[in-house]
Amino acid sequence: MSRHRIPGRGRVDAGRPVQFTFDGRSYDGLQGDTLASALLSHGVHLMGRSFKYHRPRGPVTAGSEEPNALVGTSRGPGRTEPNTRATVQELRHGLVAESQNRWPTLSFDAGAVNDALSPLFSAGFYYKTFMWPRNFWDKVYEPVIRRAAGLGRAPTEEDPDIYASRYAHTDVLVVGAGPSGIAAALAAARAGASVTLADEGTEIGGSLLSDPGVEIDGSPAWDWLEDRAAELRDLGVTLLTRTTAIGYYHQNFLGLVERLTDHLDEIPHGAPRERMWRLRAARVVLAQGALERPLVFDGNDRPGVMLAGAAQTYLNRYGVAVGERAVVVTSHDSAYYAAFDLADAGIAVPAIIDTRAEIRPDLASEARLRAIEVLSGHTVTATSGRLCVASVTANPVTGGEVGEGRQLRCDCLLVSGGWTPSLHLFSHTKASLSWDAEAGTFLPDRSLEDLHLAGAGRGLWGYAASLSDGAEAGAAAAHALGHAAQATGLLVARDRIGTGITHGQLPTHRAPSRVRAFVDYQNDVTAKDIKLAVSEGMRSIEHVKRYTTTGMATDQGKLSNLNALAIAADALGTTPPQVGLTTFRPPYTPTTFATFAGYHRGAAFEVTRRTPIDGWAEENGAVWEPVGQWRRARHFPQGDEDMDAAVDRECRAVRAGVGIFDASTLGKIDVTGPDAATFMNRMYTNAWTKLAPGRCRYGLLLGEDGYVRDDGVVGRMAEDRFHVTTTTGGAARVLTMMEDYLQTEWPDLDVWLTSTTEHWAVVALNGPRARDVLAPLVEGLDISGEAFPMMSVAECTVAGFPARLFRLSFTGELGYEINVPARHGRALWEALMAAGADHGITPYGTEAMHVLRAEKGFIIVGQDTDGTVTPEDLGLGWTIGKTKEDFVGMRSLSRPDLVARGRKQFVGLLTADGAVRLEEGAQIVDDPDQPLPMRMIGHVTSSYNSAALGRSIALAVVENGRERMGETVHIPMPEGNVEATIAPGVFYDPDGGRAKL
Amino acid sequence: MGATHVPMVEDLPPRHRLSLRVREGGRGAVGAALGLDLPERVGERARGGGREALCLGPDEWLIEAEEADAAALARALGGVDVSHAAVDISDREVGFRVSGPGTLALLAMGCPRDVARIAPGRGARTIFHGASVVIRREAEEEVRIDIWRSVAPHVRALMETGLKELRAGL
Amino acid sequence: MLLIHCPYCDETLPEMEFAYAGEAHVARPVDPSRTTDEEWRDHLFVRSNTRGPHAERWRHVHGCARFFNAVRDTVTDRVLATYPAGSPRPDLPGKDTP
Repeated sequence: MSRHRIPGRGRVDAGRPVQFTFDGRSYDGLQGDTLASALLSHGVHLMGRSFKYHRPRGPVTAGSEEPNALVGTSRGPGRTEPNTRATVQELRHGLVAESQNRWPTLSFDAGAVNDALSPLFSAGFYYKTFMWPRNFWDKVYEPVIRRAAGLGRAPTEEDPDIYASRYAHTDVLVVGAGPSGIAAALAAARAGASVTLADEGTEIGGSLLSDPGVEIDGSPAWDWLEDRAAELRDLGVTLLTRTTAIGYYHQNFLGLVERLTDHLDEIPHGAPRERMWRLRAARVVLAQGALERPLVFDGNDRPGVMLAGAAQTYLNRYGVAVGERAVVVTSHDSAYYAAFDLADAGIAVPAIIDTRAEIRPDLASEARLRAIEVLSGHTVTATSGRLCVASVTANPVTGGEVGEGRQLRCDCLLVSGGWTPSLHLFSHTKASLSWDAEAGTFLPDRSLEDLHLAGAGRGLWGYAASLSDGAEAGAAAAHALGHAAQATGLLVARDRIGTGITHGQLPTHRAPSRVRAFVDYQNDVTAKDIKLAVSEGMRSIEHVKRYTTTGMATDQGKLSNLNALAIAADALGTTPPQVGLTTFRPPYTPTTFATFAGYHRGAAFEVTRRTPIDGWAEENGAVWEPVGQWRRARHFPQGDEDMDAAVDRECRAVRAGVGIFDASTLGKIDVTGPDAATFMNRMYTNAWTKLAPGRCRYGLLLGEDGYVRDDGVVGRMAEDRFHVTTTTGGAARVLTMMEDYLQTEWPDLDVWLTSTTEHWAVVALNGPRARDVLAPLVEGLDISGEAFPMMSVAECTVAGFPARLFRLSFTGELGYEINVPARHGRALWEALMAAGADHGITPYGTEAMHVLRAEKGFIIVGQDTDGTVTPEDLGLGWTIGKTKEDFVGMRSLSRPDLVARGRKQFVGLLTADGAVRLEEGAQIVDDPDQPLPMRMIGHVTSSYNSAALGRSIALAVVENGRERMGETVHIPMPEGNVEATIAPGVFYDPDGGRAKL
Repeated sequence: MGATHVPMVEDLPPRHRLSLRVREGGRGAVGAALGLDLPERVGERARGGGREALCLGPDEWLIEAEEADAAALARALGGVDVSHAAVDISDREVGFRVSGPGTLALLAMGCPRDVARIAPGRGARTIFHGASVVIRREAEEEVRIDIWRSVAPHVRALMETGLKELRAGL
Repeated sequence: MLLIHCPYCDETLPEMEFAYAGEAHVARPVDPSRTTDEEWRDHLFVRSNTRGPHAERWRHVHGCARFFNAVRDTVTDRVLATYPAGSPRPDLPGKDTP
């Protein structure tokens, strides 16, 4: 048994020792311990160093609000975590913990030199010091500060754990399973509501776990808890322990993080480490309780200085004495109970220093019974001790004057400055708070949410009050949902009621420059820093916070905010609400990034859409590129070909023989109904009325602003049915736009839209031998050039599959697009590969497709257009139906700026040196020698090596480009200027004869 | 979380699927041709003669039938004298079934809607792991899911992760 | 994540099934060619940017796929009412921003 463990006390299992290491040294703790309680059982208070001054620090709390005892934990490769709070890390076999922010060791830290230099590091130090010279910022200050800053080290290996996510729905969510939360859950569940009860702790009970002496309905507190846990189970209440409600969002939507494996000795296969519950509740009961507030005095940060409630928890819940000689300093009655519990456990408690002049008589006499001296109306002006507190100096305060001090020897100092209701979640949805001057704290005011607050979280104190308040809240929640609910009262014996007052900084007679009274432990913000910030002009707490960094540490000011506010208000001579309260934001406690990501990591990061031919491409060495959500084969390298070589080969094959291409990702929309042609006329620039069934047309879609949004070939399948194709990335957008107009502008039209993108697999055959490959496989259709000319569509059978066959060309060669039901896509592809083997059929990818279309000057929407390009700019004015009176975007085409001269027009560019390939996106200028910034007249939109032309080609938009054929422009690049000539956009087969073979 | 419940996930064979669109005035006539009383409210289903209709929107029904019924369906609809659209989407989606205890837990990993409130016998289009899906609740712990073919591997992979999680029992 | 009542499905469902679609009651002119440049500009680009109850369009994209209208308070982010496309904006007495 370790030195500070008290046999027979606490909820730890004395029969189950647990081995762990801290800074390389082996220790044993007990099942049920936290890392902090186990270390304290060995008398280890020193667990870390502060952020700025590297001061030695020990735990001040026993909970998730801990600012000091942050350690690194690990359980194997990738499973390391910085800034784990030792106060909540449950002990497990083989736990490896390391202290942080110290070198070389925790007890001797070279960085502690900062502490000696602390007069230099005043509030706003960084703003004042690192101002100039300006170029020192990125060369010196930034790297140096970066290296010195931060607490733990971020893991460098990929996290091998799984993180889960689950949606949940419940009638009543109760946050906090302390006495009021348990009472609320029971009242709601007994009334018949479905209830979820969540608590960040390992078991239900909250403060009762630290107060076993209380009796409820005649049972000792812990027996009552056991019975209630069983009853909650029987009532079907979903109990989520080790689960922190991190955020409260609109309409009772909460994020809760459940920690599943960090406490386990062995992780079950496939088990997630944490789970994010996304929970919607009809009613929420917030029973989060209150956090104890430290007192601010010189030397209040030495290891061994701890909140009184924490010491009580270590004693009663973990059976650990945090010292052998405890002095208490308090402004609240609650610390008396801690003192009594410690004294009753055999720990010396020589004195309680109370800042209040009047002591409740029953507490005074209880103290007398235990021979505890009560120093009422006293302040604390100093502590001593290097790595652990050794004494405290108490001084009487009379009429505002601080008298002569008296040094009291101790090895731990238990502090209580009152209790702060936890209103974080309440505040997340913009609820308002009101200032309670008497209690010296904020209380909940108004909220738009369907919620109830109960217990200490709304400023109540004592078990009887909290239990009945919880029951009433739970009953009210159930009642609001239509259940007949009752709040039954409970009899509480040996209740621990109390009141208190609050302070900013405790009064002292010492020179302010010699006082180091900490407000924010982790960020080393002292009372002096806050006063300095005020004297330097900060008036709002938001400014004080940013200037001093108070409340900006990993605990987000849970202990420090109200003390900082009180000190700032004192310095300003005003009240705390005048200075304001910083905004509470999620998450309530630090949360693992991966828990937010959930399942969406690695390959599952985002949806990856695959075509029916994806498997074939994968087996045949495709190099992929993402196109929207799709992955598409970019090229199919053979041997040790690089991309240029593969694309060159694929392009030549299409121009000389036949290539095969997976075009399945093209968006497809079925437009059916008697008004189909009318609808198409209104949506697209083109005229559709006279397009005969069996024929196709290139369609151009504009936004209402007149700019090109999408394009694609549209086939008329019947009088009342069009097969519309869209770009790959535009499919969903185009359908949405069409539905928008149809549903909200023209609901009278009898036409319906259906996405058929994924119903069809599409294989494109292109090249002079395309027909030779295809013809033998086609049944029910004559595909000769005369019978099935360019821009035809028909239904037939291809390789035995029902097909919609299009004759069109995006390469400039004879081309077909064969649509078959998706399940047959791969079989069709393989049949064509077999049929084409003798013709040298060559699969090509998106890169070759891009080159081939660029040689023909065909645009790719989104690459050659950027949302500010009109049909006229592209030279596509011919797509506009000449007699049309209206279509989407038509009116905008006559807006002054769209008809003005000087618009950028789509043209070709040929570099002076054909071996030079321009950079896509590069800017174009007329005079490369002009002063900076140059006047840019356009930019390169597409650029490739053309196998057919044996040189580079580019497409670009250039001011008045079409009037400037043959003129020279310049593309200044970091490596030097590139000269190019403006050329027509069609580089290959300008008459288009090859597609019409 | 209680006992470990791991549902079964199985691919379903292809079915003939039609997206049927018709205005309120034509609902009766088109339904009669199909031999179904096309339900009026979103989420309701009707069954008969091996055919099933699920109302997905105020003018939209998903018709399901045996593949061998495709030609007969087309003939039946061809004879209807009311404006409507019937588009073959048989290959747009693939279907699978999740059944057994734990079904709703598996769905809750990616579906923000409270699937427990889709009564057995009803259905809905909703979102699952970021993808649009049609869910039919066949029984307390049995659903069929139709999902676009290209995203099915992504969603199935996430479901496998989910099954592993359920097997781990945490 | 908001809850939104779809007037076509008559169900209150999670926001993830829906997509926002801009301000409501901005009707496309029946004959755009008769609008002046200024009128057309206003139709295209000028929106109310309301603080408080704001009539806007949503689409139940992962549901019944219908566009509909909603009045949402841009201060509280509450959806105060939803109604079918084409219906007039409802009167919501006492639903002004607090």
